[in-house]
Amino acid sequence: MNPIDDQLDRLFRSAAQARPRPVTAAPFGLETRALAAWRAGRSAETVFWDMRLLVRGLIVAGLIMAVSFLPALNSAESTSNPFADYLQMTDSTVASDEAQ
Amino acid sequence: MTDAEVTDCLARGKAGDEKAILEIFHFMYPHVAKLVQANLPARESAEDLIQQVCVKVMSHLDQFSGKVPFLHWVSRIAVNTCLNQIRHEKRRPEVRLADLSEDEANVVEHLAAAPNELDASDHVGSKELVDKLLGTLRPADRLLMRLMYLEGRHVDEIAGLTGWSRSLIKVRAFRARAQLRRRYSLLMKENS
Repeated sequence: MNPIDDQLDRLFRSAAQARPRPVTAAPFGLETRALAAWRAGRSAETVFWDMRLLVRGLIVAGLIMAVSFLPALNSAESTSNPFADYLQMTDSTVASDEAQ
Repeated sequence: MTDAEVTDCLARGKAGDEKAILEIFHFMYPHVAKLVQANLPARESAEDLIQQVCVKVMSHLDQFSGKVPFLHWVSRIAVNTCLNQIRHEKRRPEVRLADLSEDEANVVEHLAAAPNELDASDHVGSKELVDKLLGTLRPADRLLMRLMYLEGRHVDEIAGLTGWSRSLIKVRAFRARAQLRRRYSLLMKENS
């Protein structure tokens, strides 16, 4: 084996045997901070879902309004001029007179 | 905590039970702390990162399918969070003999002098020297070398932890090892 590789291997083996820093209980305050961050994340998530629900509700309401407005719009178009039938009759009378 | 207790706790945690969330926090804390400290030895903000990992786990409990052990899933999150963190560290200092501490310089001398294993008194110096050498590598390579040579993890295990493919791990390990060899050779040249 390459002497450098051999030395590196020995170095790693020795380093792996070094005692890691002991892990004690969670430091004071970490638990509270983690819990607070979790709560904040949850409330943000709830607000997000509330907003999505609101947006969906608005879209559905808009669609219902549009659908219910269409027949009214059609009838309004057909009855927009209350004298339309009368005028049409008069026009046809004039046209027939001219033809004669 | 037994497996059944963990499963029960996770179910309650997913439902938003704060007591269960705290139990999960205390259960995973030593594991997360060990992983973070091992992968970010030089950082003082390890506590912030531990918190970040714990909150990530607690907030995404609904994504835990239960196909792998809970702590394995936590390890994956911890390793990826550490990797993201060290990716932001641009500085990769050179290692020179003059910068080594007395313990580290002794290790270099002992390694060059005799072909046998180093004494127990050299373990701490070796660890510090390895940390310095790894500090010169790119973050992903550093993490890989640490997992492979210091923690003695197998390629499959590393693939499970990092999400990298086996071939990527092998190629990356080969290149990282070559870089380490070069850096170490420079130290040896300075020493001789």
